[in-house]
Amino acid sequence: MIQLVSKRLGAMAVIILVLTAVVFALQKASPFDPVHSMLGPSASREAVAQQRHALGLDQPLPSQYWHYLTALLHADLGMSYRTRHPITADLATFLPATAELALFALVLALVLGTALAVATTLRWRGAGVLRFVLVAGASTPAFLLAIGGILIFYQLLGWLPATGRTSFTDAPTGPTGLLTLDGLLAGRPEVTLDAMGHLVLPGLALAIGPAVSIGRVLRSSLVGNRRTDYVRTAMAKGLSEGSVLRKHVVRNSLGPALSMTGLQIGLMFAGVLVIENVFSWPGIGQYTSLSIPVGDFPAIAGVTLLLGAGFVAINTIVDILQAVADPRIDV
Amino acid sequence: MLDSSPHVAETPAVAEIDALHVTLRRGDQDIHAIRGMSLDIGPGEILGLVGESGSGKSVLAMSMLGLLPGDARTSGRCLVHGDDMLSAPAEVRRRRRRSSLGAVFQDPMTSLNPTMRIGAQVAEAAESDEEALRLLKAVGIPDAHRRMGAFPHELSGGLRQRVMIAMAVAGSPSLVVADEPTTALDVTVQAQVLALLRSLRDQIGCSFLLITHDLGVAARVADRVAVMYAGRLAEMGPTGVVLREAAHPYSLGLLGSRLSLGSSRTEPLATLPGEVPDPTRPPAGCPFAPRCDLVTDRCAQEPVDPVEVAPGHLSACVLPIEQVRGATEKAREKEGAPPAGTSGHPAGSSTQPQGDVAVDVRRVVKTFWVKAGRGRKQRLAALRDISLTVADGESVAIVGESGSGKSTLLRVIAGLEHAGGGEIALGHGVRPQMVFQDAGASLTPWLTVGDLIGERLRRERMSKPQRVERVAAALAQVGLPADVAGVRAAQLSGGQRQRVALARATVVPPKVLLCDEPTSALDVSLASGVINLIGRLRRELGMAVVFVTHDLSVARIVADRIAVMYLGRIVELGDAEDVVHHPRHPYTRALIGAVPDFGADPPALPGDPASPLRPPPGCSFHPRCPIAAEVCADPDLHPRLLGIGHGQVHQVACIRTEVL
Repeated sequence: MIQLVSKRLGAMAVIILVLTAVVFALQKASPFDPVHSMLGPSASREAVAQQRHALGLDQPLPSQYWHYLTALLHADLGMSYRTRHPITADLATFLPATAELALFALVLALVLGTALAVATTLRWRGAGVLRFVLVAGASTPAFLLAIGGILIFYQLLGWLPATGRTSFTDAPTGPTGLLTLDGLLAGRPEVTLDAMGHLVLPGLALAIGPAVSIGRVLRSSLVGNRRTDYVRTAMAKGLSEGSVLRKHVVRNSLGPALSMTGLQIGLMFAGVLVIENVFSWPGIGQYTSLSIPVGDFPAIAGVTLLLGAGFVAINTIVDILQAVADPRIDV
Repeated sequence: MLDSSPHVAETPAVAEIDALHVTLRRGDQDIHAIRGMSLDIGPGEILGLVGESGSGKSVLAMSMLGLLPGDARTSGRCLVHGDDMLSAPAEVRRRRRRSSLGAVFQDPMTSLNPTMRIGAQVAEAAESDEEALRLLKAVGIPDAHRRMGAFPHELSGGLRQRVMIAMAVAGSPSLVVADEPTTALDVTVQAQVLALLRSLRDQIGCSFLLITHDLGVAARVADRVAVMYAGRLAEMGPTGVVLREAAHPYSLGLLGSRLSLGSSRTEPLATLPGEVPDPTRPPAGCPFAPRCDLVTDRCAQEPVDPVEVAPGHLSACVLPIEQVRGATEKAREKEGAPPAGTSGHPAGSSTQPQGDVAVDVRRVVKTFWVKAGRGRKQRLAALRDISLTVADGESVAIVGESGSGKSTLLRVIAGLEHAGGGEIALGHGVRPQMVFQDAGASLTPWLTVGDLIGERLRRERMSKPQRVERVAAALAQVGLPADVAGVRAAQLSGGQRQRVALARATVVPPKVLLCDEPTSALDVSLASGVINLIGRLRRELGMAVVFVTHDLSVARIVADRIAVMYLGRIVELGDAEDVVHHPRHPYTRALIGAVPDFGADPPALPGDPASPLRPPPGCSFHPRCPIAAEVCADPDLHPRLLGIGHGQVHQVACIRTEVL
């Protein structure tokens, strides 16, 4: 087990290193000149040269990459041209909102996916309706779903808020940055409830696609596992249907659903960029979409590295969980 | 065992099946799996239920366990301790399974949950860990305490089946349904498991329904034998009586086509013509009528119910028993003098390789590196210094249990694996052709049979009509009609698929034909046909044949010489008849003793075949050998094949042969 974990962690480090190289190369290949972005088009030739030297842009590429890497190790992602703040500080400001939304969407996707899989496998009443709603939702682009949700539940019915994370101006800002948790920690349940309300629409818009993917994979492995010889053995032992399902079917069905979840989280990160704009969600997605038009490459690179590292980390965890779930896996 | 039937008919039966019909739905077709079966199982009785694939024997097992699929339609009764396992509420059936029934299935690898520890799985049936441990010890699992924490893939096949048996007998059930419990096991392990079943019956007193396709397995342990054919009972009676004085033409055919170590090598094996009737359209009359030599007008009209031909002996045939027996005897006499050239063997099997060498394997070594848990790699010595010569037109069988390296040797000869050392020379430089065990999996599903066979003609320049003609000729040679060329493999039966595989291998006649267990997935009657066919093709096309099998009685029929392998080494090599009837190596002797045969019942060889990952030092067989001496375990000992007797054609790798 220790060997497996260290092996996976090693692989993760290599992937992230490659990611930094790709980001660095993109930065160099991009038509945006960072110096012009910083100083504006009317800067003097001397000022530009001076700034180039200050940024180390007059050094050979390998040494620039080396400086870039060593800075990264010190959590230094550079300065944003747009906000003029260190990017690390910017990310720390915007990350909690995105993390809360992504976590909520992930939990929602898992719950809905499991419900879809179990209901259709056991042919529960109402399974068809659930399946129709989810599949219809998943075949609609997320932004359309988001706009539709706003039209119905905000404008028409007025049940849910359409923008932002909270209706309070004095919402607690710490310690976790997740409003639902901070509300509870600060002894203000009304903040938590309100934050939940704000999460529902963007969360659903993000979760439905992954929920259907996860549900389908889980369902097909549940169905496949119910037909296996060892389930027949368990039935022959005279175990009840419920305990056959719990002890023999479900555990063996988790592997494929776990890997699908890992993949879907990647897609969810991409979806966050769009959804945060639709709902004016003050997170990484908005930060990125403001950075792209002005060529704020350090900011874009920072976000890319952060999300990339998150994706790799999550899939590493998925791999390890799979090995825990199935003793035959030996990575 | 054969003659002891301690069961008085008056004692109440543990299970009673009465006029059972089961119809299953598959796609949009009805499968009439069981069409009127009645039988009782007495307390403490072992009833052997024998039948070929498609006879409905497994459906009968699931009926008794109350585990038929939800869309199965049934009539009749299937009582276990008075509860009808067909119609009782699910909860009643479940409690019956829990308290009175146990089950052992064919493949212990897939029948155990791969992600659950052995101890936990047994405890589910046994209610407690202590009881699980006691059961594991009772079924003979060495080091049971440690094995409780093992996962199924960490055990050998034989141990896994013992775990299944431990779960089946947990809670002292009154009936254990064992569906082909030894089919997936090696012969020496099969003998152990059968002995275990019988000793458990003696200790616990539970009854067994032992389902098998192999009459020899039933003969070894069953008190009574029931023969099923196409969903109906053909014959039932005390084991000895059914085996020696069979009353139904199907039983006689089954007995006749069964290979034993005494089957004649000089004439084609008896086969049953035709195949099992289509279960979607069962015949109105006796289902065996289309294949029966004695068929009369009455046979096809209405189903024949079993009638008592002797006390406790039932047979479902309209003919008087004297007529059935008389006819088979006459047929046997007629076969006494086979027409010349029908034999699968040149007269007086030559043992001295003659003529040119077709395959020359010299000191071949093959090592695999396999993952051995937690990222480490382990050496698997599949072939350890193998030398073997096959002459032109000669047939050599390689016999061994799983892990012996026999299939690896074949794949190395075929060029599918590279030898890690040594040399392989093919006399003609032509690539040999290969036939595999699972003909279904070795035929590409989306190509027609014609495409599959024609593929090998691509290199030869010929017009399309010429190619069609060649394909038809190849099909005719394996006994298939030309219109088979238009169908896909899935539409053919197992026997037909194996014939297609042979047609593909021989459409361009190879100099060497390599066969990897081509008959072990087939029913006995079909296997005999394929063996006859391989013999005929070999003679007509002048091919050398290397035939890998785990079954010594098959090896003896198909081969001029037999090589016995154990853990990557050839331990005995010689004339087929010599090796079978005068075996010299203790392992060969154990293998021959383990072949299930009527009446014979030598003690089972202890232990599992050792793992090729950790071959024991010295002579690898020494831990299981009854005559091993201290020197046999000496790591410096490398037992070599040495000739014995005159001519030195019979070779044995044992330093203790003088003891025998």
